[in-house]
Amino acid sequence: MAPILKVEGLKKFYGRLEALKGVDFQVEEGEIFALIGPNGAGKTTTLRIVATLLTPSEGKVELRGFDVKKQPEKIRENISYLPEEAGAYRNLRGKDYLKFMANFYARTDDEASQFIKRAEGVADLGNRLAEKVGTYSKGMVRKLLLGRALMTRPALAILDEPTSGLDVINSLEVREIIKRYAREGISVLLSSHNMLEIEFLSDRVALVDKGRILDAGTPRGLKEKYQAENLETVFRSAVQ
Amino acid sequence: MKNFRNLLIKEIKDMLTPQLIISLLFMMALFYFIGGVTKKEAEKAAGKQKISILDQDGSEFSRQLLAGLQTMNFEVEKIKAADPAAAVDAARAGDTNLLVIIPPGFGESVAKFETKEIQTYTYMRNFSIMGTRSSGILRGVISAINTYLSDDFLKKKIPEFNPQNVKNPIKSKDFIIIKSRMAEGSAAMIAGFVASQSIIIPVILMMILIYSSQMVISAIAMEKQNKTLETLLTVPISRATIVSAKMLAAGLAGLLSAAIYMVGFRSYMGGVMGGIANAPGVSQVVQKLGLAFDAKALVILGISLFFAILCALALATILGVLAEDFRSAQSLIMPMIFLVMIPYFISMFADIKTLSLPIKLLLLAIPFSHPFLATQNIFLENYRAVLFGILYMAVFFAVMVVIAARIFSTDRVLTMKLRWRKKKVVL
Repeated sequence: MAPILKVEGLKKFYGRLEALKGVDFQVEEGEIFALIGPNGAGKTTTLRIVATLLTPSEGKVELRGFDVKKQPEKIRENISYLPEEAGAYRNLRGKDYLKFMANFYARTDDEASQFIKRAEGVADLGNRLAEKVGTYSKGMVRKLLLGRALMTRPALAILDEPTSGLDVINSLEVREIIKRYAREGISVLLSSHNMLEIEFLSDRVALVDKGRILDAGTPRGLKEKYQAENLETVFRSAVQ
Repeated sequence: MKNFRNLLIKEIKDMLTPQLIISLLFMMALFYFIGGVTKKEAEKAAGKQKISILDQDGSEFSRQLLAGLQTMNFEVEKIKAADPAAAVDAARAGDTNLLVIIPPGFGESVAKFETKEIQTYTYMRNFSIMGTRSSGILRGVISAINTYLSDDFLKKKIPEFNPQNVKNPIKSKDFIIIKSRMAEGSAAMIAGFVASQSIIIPVILMMILIYSSQMVISAIAMEKQNKTLETLLTVPISRATIVSAKMLAAGLAGLLSAAIYMVGFRSYMGGVMGGIANAPGVSQVVQKLGLAFDAKALVILGISLFFAILCALALATILGVLAEDFRSAQSLIMPMIFLVMIPYFISMFADIKTLSLPIKLLLLAIPFSHPFLATQNIFLENYRAVLFGILYMAVFFAVMVVIAARIFSTDRVLTMKLRWRKKKVVL
């Protein structure tokens, strides 16, 4: 399969702090690729660069051949980003929020309606979509946002801690939705602290620590390589 | 254009919350109510003034004097009391604010052309502007009595002359000149009119600038606080569209807020200053002197106001990026308020021509000074200064927009924060 996303020698400086020290990875079409690592490892910075929110200090990021520095608008047409602590406009009703977001991507009203319908299916909030977002629980907002992120069937969905703040049942539902959409051809780049989640979801995993990728591979391949029972032990062995 | 409209509608919905509309309507109703009360009080004050009189003299002359006062817009209430102390008590129990005591022998002294003392007692029943007008009434009464007495003296001594001609042998015919225009009228009257009219424009301007700035700073801060900015920045729309939609929505909301506010404020000011503007003869003089805004002046003033609003919105956009949340946005509005208040007060109390050079330069460097100064400059036909102001604001706006767009198209929109604690970066 052809890589949809290519990241090469990616570096990012915040003043004198070097947050990324040369990150390389690729995401194939229809693949779920996960970045795992502790807080401050550089996962969110990597996702934000791919999402065109931050500009790379050095290195190359290409999505479908579009360069993140030179053609950020083209990249935005092909991605959707779900930040870890994202919110939705509290004064809008759930349905209006989805309509507002769908209008940026849809070329026709029919297409917008399709997007909204798809998002409603993912969010699964029923009649609550007619109420203002300000009245939603954290889990409901997260599902609404996931619906928004997947409704356009982007080439690459960038999901930062997709199940952050969700209870067990909601987390399970969200993981199943992500997996289903990936099977339908959407590529996913995600980050998570939850190793169990990563193991369940990801086709390939990159272990990130102190701004570098220590190793990458399938969860099974990594476990065999490090002779570990789970990804947590894999990570510990890779760091050591 | 579709994306811009989509974003603009969302921004307007976000800004014009029911809470904001209710509070604005409440303010308008409050101003309207206060204006109505003030207008009634002002009408009362301009009407017949009631005064209490204790006439201890009882002479033919004192009776004529009281009749004279009644013809001079005073309503005379005679008090029946044995002595001044009892009269003071009786008047205190009533509702008049002024008691005049004509002493015994007053008529006799007047007949001999001797100066005689009369006593006046002013009751200060409250300290509102209308309530403290008693001193003005007192001056009016004394002046009326003196006019009556002096006219009477003169009529008796030199009956062949008109007392007015004897007292005022010279009469002045007053003219006012503004640049090339001239009209007959009193300078005090015109100054009063200009003050009453020009107070409205700076207040409208100040409110529009502050409201619009607050809207745009809050809009950006709320995006940050509700964690919606990151998502918005990754949708396929240009950053310039995001910035301009926010600025336009804030401008419209600011204009609407200011308009609602001003309807109420105008009603309030109409109550306080309506008398001056409606004084007879003023409007003709004002027209002749070009002090009423014609279409050309209104267009120029409108352009000046428009550019000031644009400058405020662009500056507020940059300040909004510095805000972390809604609370910090509230403190970031302070620099804007200062920048608007400085020219507001200076233009109200000082003449820019007489200011020292550094203060003058500082004032002219603040873009919001120019529309404040534009009103007077248009009255004085100083169009060059008005056009310079518009040009300066256009340049200032362009520079601010470039800075704002640059901030929004770089990492700074997410990483730039005004905080006193150590900078924290999410990796």
